[in-house]
Amino acid sequence: MTCLLCQRPLTTKLTLPWLLSWQPVAQPVVCTACWQQFQPIILATACPQCGRAQPHWQVCRDCQRWAAQPDFQNVALFTYNEAMQAYFQHYKFQGDYRLRAVFQTIVQQRLQQLTADQVVTIPVTTATMATRGFNQVTGWLDTGINDGVLTVAKTVAQSQKDRQARLATKQPFGLAPGVDLSGQRIVLVDDVYTTGRTMRHAANLMLENGANSVTGLTLAR
Amino acid sequence: MQPKDLYGRQLLLTAAELATLPADVQSRAGLTITASQIQCQRCGSTLDHRTAQLPQKQFYCYQCLNLGRVSSLTPLYHIPEPNEFPQRPKLTWTGHLTSAQAVCAADLQRAFAAHERHLLWAVTGAGKTEMLFPGLAWALQQGWRVAVASPRVDVCLELAPRLQAAFADTTVAVLHGRQTAAYAYRQLTVCTTHQLLRFRAAFDVLVIDEVDAFPFAANQQLYYAVDHAVKPHGAVLYLTATPSDALLRQTRRGQLKLSYLPLRFHQHLLPTIQVTLLPKWWSAIAKGRLPAKLRRWLGAYATSGQRFLIFVPRIDQLTVVQAAIQRQFPTMSGQTVYSADPDRLAKVQQMRQEQVQYLITTTILERGVTFPGIDVLVLGADDPVFSTAALVQIAGRVGRSQQRPTGLVRFVSGSYTRAIKQAQRQIKLVNRKGRRLRDDLSTVPTTAND
Ligand SMILES: [Zn+2]
Ligand SMILES: [Zn+2]
Ligand SMILES: [Zn+2]
Repeated sequence: MTCLLCQRPLTTKLTLPWLLSWQPVAQPVVCTACWQQFQPIILATACPQCGRAQPHWQVCRDCQRWAAQPDFQNVALFTYNEAMQAYFQHYKFQGDYRLRAVFQTIVQQRLQQLTADQVVTIPVTTATMATRGFNQVTGWLDTGINDGVLTVAKTVAQSQKDRQARLATKQPFGLAPGVDLSGQRIVLVDDVYTTGRTMRHAANLMLENGANSVTGLTLAR
Repeated sequence: MQPKDLYGRQLLLTAAELATLPADVQSRAGLTITASQIQCQRCGSTLDHRTAQLPQKQFYCYQCLNLGRVSSLTPLYHIPEPNEFPQRPKLTWTGHLTSAQAVCAADLQRAFAAHERHLLWAVTGAGKTEMLFPGLAWALQQGWRVAVASPRVDVCLELAPRLQAAFADTTVAVLHGRQTAAYAYRQLTVCTTHQLLRFRAAFDVLVIDEVDAFPFAANQQLYYAVDHAVKPHGAVLYLTATPSDALLRQTRRGQLKLSYLPLRFHQHLLPTIQVTLLPKWWSAIAKGRLPAKLRRWLGAYATSGQRFLIFVPRIDQLTVVQAAIQRQFPTMSGQTVYSADPDRLAKVQQMRQEQVQYLITTTILERGVTFPGIDVLVLGADDPVFSTAALVQIAGRVGRSQQRPTGLVRFVSGSYTRAIKQAQRQIKLVNRKGRRLRDDLSTVPTTAND
């Protein structure tokens, strides 16, 4: 077995730094050195709305600007640092689907800790599905395909826009025919929380369609 | 995108790129999938079903991802090579070949013309690039498409300007992973063997320099790339100073024709390797002491000012060895250098400008870098990092100048490993051939240029 990220051989012995790291004990797929490049966010002091890492618990500046919008809370697992950027470069943009295994366990574990009647994931466009061949979010959860709750219009990828353009984006999502969310507590999962625009669009749509509450979960912030 | 960007290539295209190309662009599946195996058609890797899996019964190749992902979702596009080269560049190089080089060069040109697969075993310092010139010039005159490739980027970077200077009225295309310039369709290309994976039936002549720069495992992909980048009846020439068993086996089976250039440009034989068994060399040096033999050799260098390289197996040994030498010979100036050393280029430059007397290094300086007139000392030559090829290359650093065509190559080792014995055997073999060739040459009249 070699590390999925650096291809060096994986030693299976459990070292102390390994045990102290966040990596779930079950069958490591990356080496300790690679894993330690990722920066876990401490929940107790993170921003309660977007989930970003902070030294003290408070609503961050970005989130204060959302004040006019309906309330929304997101939990993020890791800071979007260089290692995370490289991870997304390889997983999402280069399309190395094997790399879903790096965060599969930790995302699934955290999801189980959140109370939900239904888990909804942000879909990818038909064009992305036809070329990339997978939904990076459901890759961590199970199937790698869109879960069929939300539909998405053909849009320019958020990652290709600047902040202003992202914030001005119109509602790209719709509810798939026959989906009933009334009274449900939803956990909405996405890969990265950047401006929050994407997640809030999806959350607003679901709240307008009768959802009781929508909580966010992202791998990175 | 223009059609010529796809001549002899196999590329993944976006819908937008495809829309700019003529409708008759060829496409074929990037993966062949059967119940028992999946094979990537670009890099040739056989893929594990589970690992290569995408949702909805799709698959991708995880072995050549850094060239863009090959998958069952999108095909590879191709336009057959039309050899659209109206210009026919001439050789502008005005240097001269020695008579041994000229014989070899003529042999290579004949091999190109005969569409052969050929291995040239040329000793380190033979001047093999110059020997290519006549054959390449002839091929370019025929309107053939030609590439010179190497597994190593630094070899490509060194070759490109020399070929460009030799064929000054054409532009040489240079392709490697670290470069940003856009691809251009050219008659003469210098590239890494990895970049060959983007070509298909493109080249009439394909030369692979330093084919044994990597261990055989990494070479499976290389041979696949070569076989697919060359035209079905194109000529392939492998160049090496240290042929692997695999290549030599192909010559014995008749799949490759073999020729030798066993003499260096200055007609001297290769320095032979002297092995000294000192199983405890490291424990002495780790305590700051130089073993008596080493002290004697280095003492002679301290007196004579003779410049030298010391090779050690591991980076963490560099400073320890340096400390022990400095303690004993404080006036002798030296540097340590390793591949990821941020000051690598500056230190090599200092050695070249004779500002320091010696360098202590790991295997990075085994190829390419030449310091005229040096001696070489390998500590721990029995370490597995020193392959036969590496040891022959290290020995080949010595005796490279016309002024000092000889020199000392000393190995300090715990035992005679297979790699050491093979390195000695290879050097002995080419020296025997070299001696014979020198005798032959001395009986025929030579021109004034030799
Ligand atoms: Zn790793
Ligand atoms: Zn916030
Ligand atoms: Zn491949």
